Parts: sequence; C-alpha cells; structure tokens
Amino acid sequence: MPQFRMTGRGLWITVLIVPPLCFVALFIVYPIISAFAYAFFDWQGLRRLDFVGLENFHTVLFVEPYRSWTLNAFKNNIIVFFALMVLQNGLGFILAYALWRELPGARFHRIAVFLPVVLSTIIVAYLFKLFYHPLFGVVNISLKSIGLGEWAQPWLGQSGTALWSIIAAQAWHMVGFPTLVFLAGMQRIPGEILDAVRMETESEWVKITKIVWPLVAPSATIVFTLLFVGAFNWFELPYIMGGLDGSPFGSTDVLGLYFYRTAFGNVSAGQQDFGLGSALAVLIFIFIAAIAAVITTRLRAREIQL
Amino acid sequence: MAQLSLRGIKKRFRDTEVLHGIDLEIGDREFVVFVGPSGCGKSTLLRLIAGLDPISDGEFVLNGHRMNDVAPSRRGIAMVFQSYALYPHMDVYENMAFGARLMGLDKAEVERRIAEAAQMLRLEALLKRKPRELSGGQRQRVAIGRALVRKPDVFLLDEPLSNLDAALRSEVRLEIAKLHREIGGTMIYVTHDQVEAMTLADKIVVMNNGRIEQVGSPRELYETPANTFVATFIGSPRMTLVDVTHEGDRLAMANGGSVAAGTLPGPGALKLGLRPDGVQLHRSASEGFAGRVEYTEYLGDNAYVYVRLANGTLLSARTTPNDLYTPDEAVTVSVTPGAAHYFSAEDGRRLDP
Repeated sequence: MPQFRMTGRGLWITVLIVPPLCFVALFIVYPIISAFAYAFFDWQGLRRLDFVGLENFHTVLFVEPYRSWTLNAFKNNIIVFFALMVLQNGLGFILAYALWRELPGARFHRIAVFLPVVLSTIIVAYLFKLFYHPLFGVVNISLKSIGLGEWAQPWLGQSGTALWSIIAAQAWHMVGFPTLVFLAGMQRIPGEILDAVRMETESEWVKITKIVWPLVAPSATIVFTLLFVGAFNWFELPYIMGGLDGSPFGSTDVLGLYFYRTAFGNVSAGQQDFGLGSALAVLIFIFIAAIAAVITTRLRAREIQL
Repeated sequence: MAQLSLRGIKKRFRDTEVLHGIDLEIGDREFVVFVGPSGCGKSTLLRLIAGLDPISDGEFVLNGHRMNDVAPSRRGIAMVFQSYALYPHMDVYENMAFGARLMGLDKAEVERRIAEAAQMLRLEALLKRKPRELSGGQRQRVAIGRALVRKPDVFLLDEPLSNLDAALRSEVRLEIAKLHREIGGTMIYVTHDQVEAMTLADKIVVMNNGRIEQVGSPRELYETPANTFVATFIGSPRMTLVDVTHEGDRLAMANGGSVAAGTLPGPGALKLGLRPDGVQLHRSASEGFAGRVEYTEYLGDNAYVYVRLANGTLLSARTTPNDLYTPDEAVTVSVTPGAAHYFSAEDGRRLDP
C-alpha cells in the first residue's frame, strides 16, 4: 500500500492554503449556495415557509410592481456601465497615454490621478454630496461665479441629473484605476516598437489606434471586465448620495439598492422578503457571471504575446 | 540618390555631452559602418540621423535639405532595429504593408512592393505568419523587408546581427551585402563587431568616446590606422603596442633587446605597433625582443602564440599550426620588414616618416 508522506514542501503548502480555503468556503461559497437555496422558498421574515419552485423568480421578473422596479434598476445599471466605460475607462486610457508620453508634470499627475482611488468611498460620496448641494455646493457656486448662474440646479434632487451626478462622482473616484492598469500595459511595450512606428508615421492617432491600443489589450480585458462587474454591483455611492430608494423617484435606483431593499426592507417601505431578494441576487449573479465570461473570452482572443 | 552631410553634430542628454561634434560626409550608394566599443555614441548618432532623438547642436543635411527638424517618417529613411521591433499583433504582410500604406501608396503598389521584397528575402511562404511564429533569422528578414517596401533613400541598421546565433550571423551578413548590391541604397550600419565592419563596409567610421577616430576603407584602417585606438580596435587578435626608444637606427625595448628602425622622424620614445602576422618567433637567441611564451591558441589553419615580452607587454604572434611553442619557452621576437606601425608615445597618433 502506498504510504502518504508529508514532505516539508507539501506541509508548507497545506498550512498556507487551508486557512484561506476555509475562509472562502465559509464566507463566499456558503452564502452563495444558501442564496440559491433561499430563492426557491417562501419566507416570512426570517422564517422559512414552503418550497415554491421558481415562483420568486417569476414574481421579480413578471409581476407588477416588481417587474417595473427590476427593469428600471436594470436600465439604470446599463446607463452606469456605458457611461463609466466612457468616463472612467476611456478617460483612463487617454490619461494613461498622456502620462506615458511624459508630458510636462507627468510625475505629479501620475500621483494626482491615482490619489482619489485611495480615498474611502464613503468620504467621496459625502464630499460630492456637499459639492452638489443646491445652495452651498461648490458646483453651483462656481457656476454662478463665472456667470452661468442659470445652469445652477439641485443636481441630486431632480430625476434628469441625479444619476449622472453620481456617475460623475464615481468616475472621478475610480478613474485612476484604469489609468494605472493601462499605464502599466503601455510601459510593457518595447521602446523599439515605438521607434519603429515613429519611423513610419508622426500621427498620434495612428500610433494610438493601430499600435498602442492593440498592444494594451490585456489591460483592456482587465479594466473592462472589472468595470462590468463593478457597474452591475454598484451600491455604495448611490446608497449614500441617492438613498436606499434610489431617489428622486427611482431615478438613481440600481440592482444593488433594489436587492438590498427587497431582501432586508426599508424604513419607508416596511416590506421585507428574503425569497424575492435571494431570487434577485441569484439573477444578478448569473447575469454578471455569464456576461463577464463572454467579455473575458472575447477580449482574451485579441490579446497578443509581446 | 542620397547624399548625407553631418556638420558639427553634438548630442547632450541633460548636462552630459555624448557626441562632441561629428563631421561626416556619406555619399550615394555607400555602405558605411559605424563601429566602436559600447557607449562610444554610434547608436546615438544613428538615432539622430533617424530623427528619433533631437540633435542638440550642428546640422544634418540630406540631399541638400536640412533635416534637423523634420519628423522621422518624412526623412526618407528606414531603420532596422536590433530587436527587429516587428509589430507583434500584425502578420508579416501587415508588418510590411503598414508603413507603405501610411506613405499614401495605392493598394496595387503596396502589394507589388511587398511581393518584390518577399521574393528578394524569401518571405513568400511566411506572409500570413505572426512574428512570434518566426525564427530569429526570419524576423530579421521581415524587419529588412519592412524597410525595403518603403523604398527609402537611406537604410539604417542598428546592430542587426547581434540577436542571431553565430552560424546564422555570417549567413545573414552575406545576405545584407548581397542586398546592398541589388538595391543599391545608401546603408548605414552600426556594430561593435569589427569583423562585420571589415566584411561589409565601403567605408568604416571608427568611433570612441563620442568622437570619430578615423574614417576610411577597411584596407586603409587596417594598413594605416590613424592612432593607437584604431590600430588596436581593428584586427584580431589585436595589434600589440610596445613602448620603445628610438636611438640611431635601432628601436630598443627596456631591458629586452632591440629591432631595426624603419624610416622615422627624430629620436625619442614611441610606440611600436605589431600585428600578429608582422612578427616572427625564434627559439634560438637572435636579434629582436626577448620574451617568454605564455600560452598558445591552436586554430587549425594557423596558431597564435602569446608572448610576455621582457618589459611586461603581452604580444600576439601568428605561427603555422605545426610550429607550436610550449608555455614558458624563451623566444626572441623579430619584426617583418615593413610590417611595423609607429605611434607617438604622447598622444598615440600615427607617426609617418
């Protein structure tokens, strides 16, 4: 019979890997599995009632008013995703390119761009809430001081501007992250390849679109995927700046808030339903996992070994 | 047509001057090799000609036009890089087509030029491959092909053989020489390898410490080196420099014999330059410098014997392979008449009668 012997190396690996595995199992795998299970039951408060099959899923997707709420939150998430794709990743790419080209002050700006990322989301949220304050906010005061007083408005208080205001805060907060990832990708491009391009064209546009962009594909995969996951899990900023109801009138409601409200209840709407909340969580999870998998495989295909 | 003039070219990086005023004329269809040790400024000079780095001072004129402020892509110059610098995401065809299209050539002309270059460089079967699927030699040919399709006035090659293994190196060296004969463009080639310089160049520019030491044909450099730097840089094994004193018609080495002096200006100290093929070794004591054999190198067709002379200088001598010396053997070194080079003891410049 073969004897199992624990060698020094094997022992080390076991010792290092078992605690995090337990942690992941207890706090990540177990909650996900239980959420799946909860979604198939009827709940009353914390008391589990009957098995109801797909009833909860049917309710959140097809029964009013849940149907409208789900669609509204989902629509807002899509807006957030595309807006941040431009404002956060697009701007991040441009910033990275500027930093990489060592324009004057690059050293200072490299730090300045990344600094907000380090700030706590809570701080950013309250900071921007103050900025957007209709009377004392720096945004409106600035507009008035440069003679654009008629543009001053309650940014977070009206349906037309609330979501976009929060998106802008998010973009400011996190733009340093894609910038950093893109910058790292650009710095991996061998200098002689850039010299070779310069021998053939002086157009920055050609350099960016035909050489730099294809060669930073691995960075793009990372930031696109993370942005997708982040945009559909978005919670902190709208929670603090728009409130749990996604006010005003659901215009800042996103799936994260909606799930939280449904599962754990809310001050203004006393209703609380674990079953519906879990069903929502499962749907969000499946949606994110499926699309992220597609995005990753599609983007991986265009990555090149340098 | 390509006529290049470099006039007083200087290059500074911040406060450090790395090129101290380069003056050089390069004619049409010439194959010019910049050679020198690492850090001598040869690659820097090439980058200034390419336009990849700005010229700090002086003037670069190509075909009568001042090029200092012209963008690299508008100079009519193509460059082959040391790492080949192929675009990793494009196949061979696209790598070659990229620059040609940017020149505004129409589709048919681009295709015609690529077909021509591919045929010349034996790349036809590889056109759909990505650079990572190619061997070093094939990548090298693609890099040359990419330069060819632009039909530039001047080709710049920055140590193009240094990433190839030894066997491939001599093969590609011959191909580059053949290519130069076929396309007839002006080529400027940077290397630290004097064999490449000697075999390829019409004109060699020997550089050291940001200055040109000598410009000339391979034969001129080998036969009449302008100073001790060029003398010891060109030729392998290198020329031995012996400190001697000129008295009467003899050149005497400190505590170790003397040889006959050729026609030389004035008496005094000087450096005697001896190539391995310009000396003979004698086992019996005879007229010449005394020394002891330190070690020998057997190469098949001939052998090199390294002799520690009585004044401490290590001298290399070529002998026939059958004439092998044993270490520590006492020998006398005599000089073949007419084979000696004389250099000033103060500044190392060539002394001519």
